[in-house]
Amino acid sequence: MKLNRLFLTTALSMGLALPALAVQPAAGEKLAADQSYTFWLLDAIKTADPHKNSDVEGSDVIRQLFEGLLNEDAKGAPVPGVATKFDLSDDKLTYTFHLRPEAKWSNGDPVTANDFVYSWRRLADPATASEYAWFMELMNVENAPAVVKGEKKPEELGIKAVDDHTLEVKLTAPTPYFPKMVTHSSTFPVPQKVVEAEGDNWTQAGKLVGNGAFTLTSHDLGVQISMDKNPNYWDAANVVMEHIKGLTVNDNNVALTRYKAGELDRVQIPAGQYPSLEKEFPDQAISIPYSCSYGYLFNLSDKGPEALKDVRVRKALSYAMQRDVVVDKILQGGQKPSYNWTHWAIEGFQMPEIDYAAWSQAERLEKAKALLAEAGYGPDKPLKLVLQYNTDENHKKIAVAAQQFYKQLGVQIELNNVEWKVHTDRLQSQDFEMARYAWCADYNEASTFLDYFRSTGMNYGKFKNAEFDKLLDESKTAADPNVQYTAAEKIIAEEMPLVPIYQYAKVDMISDVIKGLPTENVMNDWLAKDIYRIEK
Amino acid sequence: MFGFILRRLAVAIPTLLLLIVLSFLLMHAAPGGPFTQERALPPQIIANLNAKYGLDEPLWRQIVNYVWGIVAHFDFGPSFVYPDRTVNQIIAAGFPVTLTYGGIAFVAAVVVGVSLGVTAAIRQNTWVDYLAVGTSIGAQVLPNFVMAPILVLVFTLWLGWLPGGGWGGPIFWIMPVVALSTSFMASIARITRSSMLEVLGSNHIRTARAKGLSESKVILRHALKPALLPVISYLGPAFVTMITGSVVVDIYFSTGGIGRSFVDSALNRDYAVMMGITILVGALTILFSLVVDVLYAWIDPKIRY
Repeated sequence: MKLNRLFLTTALSMGLALPALAVQPAAGEKLAADQSYTFWLLDAIKTADPHKNSDVEGSDVIRQLFEGLLNEDAKGAPVPGVATKFDLSDDKLTYTFHLRPEAKWSNGDPVTANDFVYSWRRLADPATASEYAWFMELMNVENAPAVVKGEKKPEELGIKAVDDHTLEVKLTAPTPYFPKMVTHSSTFPVPQKVVEAEGDNWTQAGKLVGNGAFTLTSHDLGVQISMDKNPNYWDAANVVMEHIKGLTVNDNNVALTRYKAGELDRVQIPAGQYPSLEKEFPDQAISIPYSCSYGYLFNLSDKGPEALKDVRVRKALSYAMQRDVVVDKILQGGQKPSYNWTHWAIEGFQMPEIDYAAWSQAERLEKAKALLAEAGYGPDKPLKLVLQYNTDENHKKIAVAAQQFYKQLGVQIELNNVEWKVHTDRLQSQDFEMARYAWCADYNEASTFLDYFRSTGMNYGKFKNAEFDKLLDESKTAADPNVQYTAAEKIIAEEMPLVPIYQYAKVDMISDVIKGLPTENVMNDWLAKDIYRIEK
Repeated sequence: MFGFILRRLAVAIPTLLLLIVLSFLLMHAAPGGPFTQERALPPQIIANLNAKYGLDEPLWRQIVNYVWGIVAHFDFGPSFVYPDRTVNQIIAAGFPVTLTYGGIAFVAAVVVGVSLGVTAAIRQNTWVDYLAVGTSIGAQVLPNFVMAPILVLVFTLWLGWLPGGGWGGPIFWIMPVVALSTSFMASIARITRSSMLEVLGSNHIRTARAKGLSESKVILRHALKPALLPVISYLGPAFVTMITGSVVVDIYFSTGGIGRSFVDSALNRDYAVMMGITILVGALTILFSLVVDVLYAWIDPKIRY
C-alpha cells in the first residue's frame, strides 16, 4: 500500500517543521512570580478517567492531566500532541500516527503506541462500560460496533502498534474529520500498569499517572481539584503555568462574587448580566461563539401528537418563535438567534439561505397563522401542545416566553417542568410532544450536529428523511462535505424537525492578568500549558 | 431506664430496615436510573453496568445483598456516579464537614437562642423583650438561601475578611455557621420565651419567690429546667438536621458536606450514596430522639419509663 503523506491543516505541518512554540508574554507584559490559575467548576468532577468521564467539565480537567494524539491550537485546529505527524492511505481508511519518542508518563515511563492500543480497546470494551464507547463507533474504527456490543473481542478493534512509536488505525469508512476527533478526551491514553494495579481507584490523587502537562495533587469531591506542573511532560520546558486549581461553586452568582473578590480567574456570567458587566469590565467580560445549539424538538414518532406530523404545523410553530426576544431580552449574552441546527461558527460550515431567517417577525407570524389555518387549526379548533423542559432558570424563562409567543398564534401550550433524568428518560422513550433540547459538538465539524437527525442517529423526535440520510452518506466521501451539509440544513428548514431557537455563546469573565486562554476556538477547549499569569 | 434504652434500640432495628426497604422501592420507582444519560447507552453496556452494580438482580435480592453488605462488612457499596469513590469514602469525607459546622451552629443556636428567650421572658413587654423578639423574627424570616449570598458579598467581596467558600481551618467555618444557625436560633428563642413565661406563672415559682430566694436562683434553678423541656424536644431533630448538613450551606459555601451529596445523589440516581445518607440520617434521628427521651427523664423526675 502506497502511503500518501497528508497534512490536513497548515498548523499541523508547521508543527512538523518548527519546534513547539514556547508560551511567551507579549511585549510590555511581565510574568507574575506566582504562576497559578483558578478556574470555576459548577459541579463535582465525576472522574478523571478519560474513558469514564462524560461531561464537559470533566474533559477540561482530563485535558490537563492527559494528552491525546493531537491537540487543538488557539483556533481549534488540530496540532501535534503525542503524535508529531500522521499519514493517510490512498483509500483514506488507514491512519498511521508517528508518536514522539520523548513523550513520557508522569512516572517517567515512555508513552508508546501500545498505550493507545490498550486505551482504545479499553474505551470500546463493554467490560469497561464506558458511557463514551460509542465514540469509537462514531470514529468509524474498524470493528468498533461489534466490540462495543460484545460480539467481537476488544483485540479485534482496528488499532495496532506497528512499533513503539508507530500507531496504525483502520477505519471502515473515510472520515474526513477523524484527526479532529482524536483531540476528544475519550481517545486519550491511560497507563495500563497503573489501571490494572489500582482498579477503579487509579484516578485518585497520589495514584493517578498521566501524560499531560499537569499532575493531580488533590481532589476533594465537590470542593476543589488541584494540579501541578508535570516535570516529565515532553514539553515541560515551555510550560509557564505551575499550579492550576478547579474550585467547585454550585451557584453561578456566588461564583461571580468570588471572581470579583479575586478567588477565581475565570467564571461564567449568569444570564442577563453580560451587558452591565461588559460596560463595567470591558477587558474582562467576553462573549465568544460556543458550539451548542438550542431548540424545541418535535416528537414525530408514532407516540407523538398527530398535529405535529403536519409540516405546516411544525413550520408555523417555528415561524412564531420570537428568537430575538429570547436572545436580546432573556439571555443577553451575545447568543445568536437560530434558524438552523448546526452552530454557525463550526469550521467550514456554510449557512444555507433559509427563507424565514430573512423575514421580519411580523411576516413570520402572518405566515405562521396562514399555515396553521391551512392545517385546520383555528379559534374553533385550537391547537394544544405540551412543552416539556428540564429544571433550569433559563429554560423556564424561555418556555414561559414561548407560551406567550404561541398564544399570539392561537396555540395553547401547557408547560411541563421535570428534572433532568426524567426529561432524558422521556426523550429516549418518545414520551413527549415538544421538548427543550440542546446539542453540543463533539468535534469541530458540522456532521456532529447533522448526524443527530439521521434516521439511525440519536434523533429523539424520530425524524425520517431519506434524502437527508443520503446527503450525509455522500458527505463521508465528498471532496468538500460542506456542500452536503448545507443541503442537509436546507432540508431541516423545509421539514422542521425542531424549532431552532438560539446558538450558544460562551459568556465569561476572564481575569485581565491571565493570558493565553483561547477565545477563537468554538469548542472552547483550553490547555493550561498554554496560559500564563502576568504582573499587573 | 436501662431496660427502656434497650427496648428502644431493639425497635430501632426494624425501623431502620423499614426505612431501607421503603427508600429502596421509592428510589427505583423514580423514572430514569444512574446510567440514564443524554446519549442512550447500548444495551450491552447497560447490561454490564447493571451487572457490575448488582442491578440485574431482582429487587428483593438487591435489598438483601445491600443489607448484608452493611451488616457483615459495614460496606455501603460503590458510588454509581463517581467510579473512584465508595459510599463510605463519600460519607467519610463529607460528614466531618457538616458535623463541624452543624455542631458549632447547634451550640451557637442553643446558647444565643436560650439566652435571648430567657431574657425576653424575664423582661416581658420591655424594650429588651421587643428587641429579642424582633431579632428572632428577623432571623427567622431571613432564609439561609438569601443570607448566604449576602454574607459572601459583605465578608468576601466588600470587607475581604473571609474566604467565599471551600473548606479548611476555622476561618472557613464562620459563614456556614452563621447562615445555618440563625433560623434555628430564632426558633429556640421563641420556644424558650413562651415556655419560660408559662413556667414563671406557675405555682412552684411563686413558692420559690415566697421563700425569699434570689431572683437568679429562682430563674436558673427552678424555672429554667422545666422551661427547657419543649426546647429539648425541638433540639433532638434540629441537631440531626444541622449535623447532617444543609444543602443551601453546601451549595453557597462549597463546603463539600453531605447535604449537597444527598440532593445530588437523588438527582443523579446515585442509588448507593442516596441510601447511605438516608440510613445515616435515619440512624441519627432514631439515636437522638432516644437521647431526648433520656434527657426528659433526667430533667423531669415525674417522667418514668
